[in-house]
Amino acid sequence: MKKDDIEEQKIQAIVLTDSFQTRFMPLTAIRPRCLLPLANVPLIEYTLEFLAQANVSEVYLMCCSHADQVQQYIDDSKWVHPSSPFTKIQTIMSLESRSVGDAMRDVDSRGLITGDFVLVSGDVVTNLDLSKVLATHKQRKAADRDYIATMVLKQASELHRARSHIEPACFILEKGTDKCLYYQDIPPVNGQKTSVNIDPEILQDVAEFDIRNDLIDCHVDICTPQVPTIFQENFDYQALRSDFVKGVLSSDLLKKHIYAYVTGDEYAARVESWQTYDGISQDVLERWCYPIVPERNIIDDQTYTYESKHIYKEQNIRLSQSCKIQSRVVIGNDTFIGDGSKVQASVIGRHCRIGNNVLVENSYIWEGAVIGDGSVIRHSIVAADAVVGANSVLNPGAVIGFGVRIDDNVEIPHDTKIVKEKIRKMDDSLSLSEEEDEEEESDASIVGPNGVGRLYREDVHEDGQYGGMIYQMAQLSVSDTSLASTTVAHQHRRKKRTQSTTSAYLSEEEDEQFDKEAIATVERAMEFNHDIDTALLELNTLRMSMNVTYHEVRVATSTALVKRVDHFIETQTLGAKEAVEKIFRKWSSLFDRQVFDNEDQLDLLIILQTLCSQLDASYNSVVLLWILVVLYDEEIIEEENIYKWWHSEKSKEIGARDRVEKWIEWLQEAESEEE
Amino acid sequence: MSSTQKYEVLVDSFISKLKRRQITGSYNVATATCRLLMRVISSSRWSSTEEFINLIRGVGCKLIDAQPREFATGNIVRRVLAIIRDEVSEDSVTQSANNAPYNTSMFQLLSTTHTTKPQGTQATKQPNQDLRSVVIQGIRELIDEIASVHENIELMTVDLIHENEVLLTPTPGSQTVLNFLLKASLKRKFTVLITESYPNDINECHSFAKKLAEMNIETVIIPDSTVFAVMSRVGKVLIGARSVFANGGCVTAAGVATVCECAKEHRTPVFAVAGLYKFSPTYPFDRDSLIEVGNSGKVLPYEDSDLVGKCEVTNPLFDYVVPEHIDIYITNIGGFSPNFIYRIVLDNYKAEDVQLG
Repeated sequence: MKKDDIEEQKIQAIVLTDSFQTRFMPLTAIRPRCLLPLANVPLIEYTLEFLAQANVSEVYLMCCSHADQVQQYIDDSKWVHPSSPFTKIQTIMSLESRSVGDAMRDVDSRGLITGDFVLVSGDVVTNLDLSKVLATHKQRKAADRDYIATMVLKQASELHRARSHIEPACFILEKGTDKCLYYQDIPPVNGQKTSVNIDPEILQDVAEFDIRNDLIDCHVDICTPQVPTIFQENFDYQALRSDFVKGVLSSDLLKKHIYAYVTGDEYAARVESWQTYDGISQDVLERWCYPIVPERNIIDDQTYTYESKHIYKEQNIRLSQSCKIQSRVVIGNDTFIGDGSKVQASVIGRHCRIGNNVLVENSYIWEGAVIGDGSVIRHSIVAADAVVGANSVLNPGAVIGFGVRIDDNVEIPHDTKIVKEKIRKMDDSLSLSEEEDEEEESDASIVGPNGVGRLYREDVHEDGQYGGMIYQMAQLSVSDTSLASTTVAHQHRRKKRTQSTTSAYLSEEEDEQFDKEAIATVERAMEFNHDIDTALLELNTLRMSMNVTYHEVRVATSTALVKRVDHFIETQTLGAKEAVEKIFRKWSSLFDRQVFDNEDQLDLLIILQTLCSQLDASYNSVVLLWILVVLYDEEIIEEENIYKWWHSEKSKEIGARDRVEKWIEWLQEAESEEE
Repeated sequence: MSSTQKYEVLVDSFISKLKRRQITGSYNVATATCRLLMRVISSSRWSSTEEFINLIRGVGCKLIDAQPREFATGNIVRRVLAIIRDEVSEDSVTQSANNAPYNTSMFQLLSTTHTTKPQGTQATKQPNQDLRSVVIQGIRELIDEIASVHENIELMTVDLIHENEVLLTPTPGSQTVLNFLLKASLKRKFTVLITESYPNDINECHSFAKKLAEMNIETVIIPDSTVFAVMSRVGKVLIGARSVFANGGCVTAAGVATVCECAKEHRTPVFAVAGLYKFSPTYPFDRDSLIEVGNSGKVLPYEDSDLVGKCEVTNPLFDYVVPEHIDIYITNIGGFSPNFIYRIVLDNYKAEDVQLG
């Protein structure tokens, strides 16, 4: 009977092992996020366990950064044994992917998907019963022709510890059907007020709807095969939620529907920041995620047993007689805890050595770490094989990287991240640099005279605002007074939001955004020699998603083309004529779908002239001349419109005309000769 | 080599199913364990009976470690070991009868281990194929026994339940209790009180009550807190046991210990129903380790972020009931006093196999 069930529904799963984020830096520089331990089990195990529970048969792991480590891990794990519940588990090296969108496009181009599939990120912790979700998915698929995906959302509350405070998202769901009408990511919870603009058009024909800001988005989606195709068609979709879901829902063209599955009693959350790492670890310890608990011994060689007050111990641990293991504690194999030490609400890995009179509170000490006598560790993470000397203090928010050594009597300030070696960011891929920049081995002011390690500075421009998150994680559990006020503000706003359904307006910011994006698109197309159709499609999608006119598109395209020509001339790779010929012969056909009537042609000419006039005076009119010749040849611009433009007041103002004059004359002559 | 791997694959996938709780309920676990052992026995190779026994013991250890609180696996493995040992000793008795006179003195009792061991190795030469098929036949009988547990227990209903009696059951999750009552309703008219069993078994409680009501049994669901108040009216307390230990104590659903305590106070008889496969030869030395702790979310809604993490929540799923609080065990082989359980255990298990590790 069971076998029939399995055969009946062969389910595929795509696991995104990369988070495409840098929130767990500096630790993710050495180990990928999905292999970081949560309650002494690598995160990916929770995801795979969930898939195994759900009778998934084929699993594809999309690996990007640290792909080798993930591959190695999977090859050594029980999942590849013949007893594995998966008929197929495959790691896919998608090294060039830089976002969820890229990974999905890779999935599509590899043709892995044969039917409906589960899309899940490699850092989900859940005890969700997927069969119920799949049943709902089937129903919806049968009922709604435009159905493409179901998102699993867990009901919680706005400031719940397992809910992301960095990316809290607001979902608008139709009442009764749970059809998602609108998605909006709202800025991090920091006490500031924000607003959500909702286009009233979205809410037409909708009887009743909920605006929800209390859901944990655990990134478990049931998708139809159309989903990767949509990613493929929309080059600009990067993130799963803020691009894909938002894009699909607001697109007039796609007309696809995404639904939500809101679960109440099951547990589902995603480890996507330090704060959720803390929250979910505590949840697992406190058995909110039962039966996903440490004594389930997910990894085969684990031997955890449960003791009252949520204490989990492996077999060979040595606890001194006077040490106090208070409550919510996991202690791994071969760990020693000295006299008079106190451990509370913490996870201690295998082979750790905790000295005498140490206080460990709400902290995560990974495999092989050593804590010296008399140290105090609160709300911190001590990564594998790190050493903290005697009488040191780790203040809330400290992250001690792999293999760092902290000297005796050192106090690590709040929210400090320490790494062993310098980490450099190399165009998005994170890797250890082997630079000979060794002006200082370690930073003695931070780790003490005998310490090894240096301060890790976060990239301020990208994740700067999240830098304080781990600190916040501590704060959240220490004092809630400041946050209480935020809650009030949130609720208040929720009431108001329903009324303020003013239509979205085009702000200047959005306009600028478009220019940048579109220019980048065309440049990319030229650089990688895409075909015209793809480039056009991309531009078109951009135009629609940003809601701009064709004028902007023309400006952007022309800017990109002229810039490229200018680049060739400036670097003296090509002469003006050749450069223009090379670029405009091929790419001027982009204008085909941007220029429709006489007015548009005039507009384009003005744009080009303006752009050329901004170039170096020594060759600007030559460039303009050759552009005109090409456009004329390609029949993008009609003769009449050239004359009209030539005689217009506007054109006379701009300049860069001197070389063009002769050509116009020649053109007129040729015409009269024909007559 | 390949056959060894084959049975290991079987065992590993069974273990992960146990861990994932894809097989639940003692009845299902017991039958599934039987089937697994049958396949292991038929696909494994061994050269001596001792090796065979050690192999099964090893499998048993693994299964128990996978889910230490699912006692049915351990019980079944021990039953199968007993079947094997019976076969082996029968063979060796016939063989060794001529060699050495059977010693029945007290001294023999103390030195059993010394004499049985060489006997085991002597039996090595016995054709393995016979043993294999005999053991598999034994397991088939065991499966039949498990399958007919309910029928055999039901036979006793008429003797135990009186006309117009009021019964109380605090274990609505038990299929055995349900069948027992349904069967009794054919001959007797009685009232059943069911405890609400909040929070873990509340759904089971409702469906239990529904099934009884459909059979025209007068059914009342009472809050857990009113057990003591109604106890004076109750004629018998009927509990389903999850596992019964050699001392006569049993593990059952959370809250039952209190009910039995109340019954004791009112001198109300407590009947525990359990199939033979739930009898474990072990002693409940560490009672805390017998009790599974379940989902905290059933006690406190997880959405309540003001409380989650700020108070400690524990939700035990099981209770241990001491033997003094149980008057009689009703099993498929008859009714027994808790004092007598050790005897049944001795009949069905071998002393060597109590500790598998």
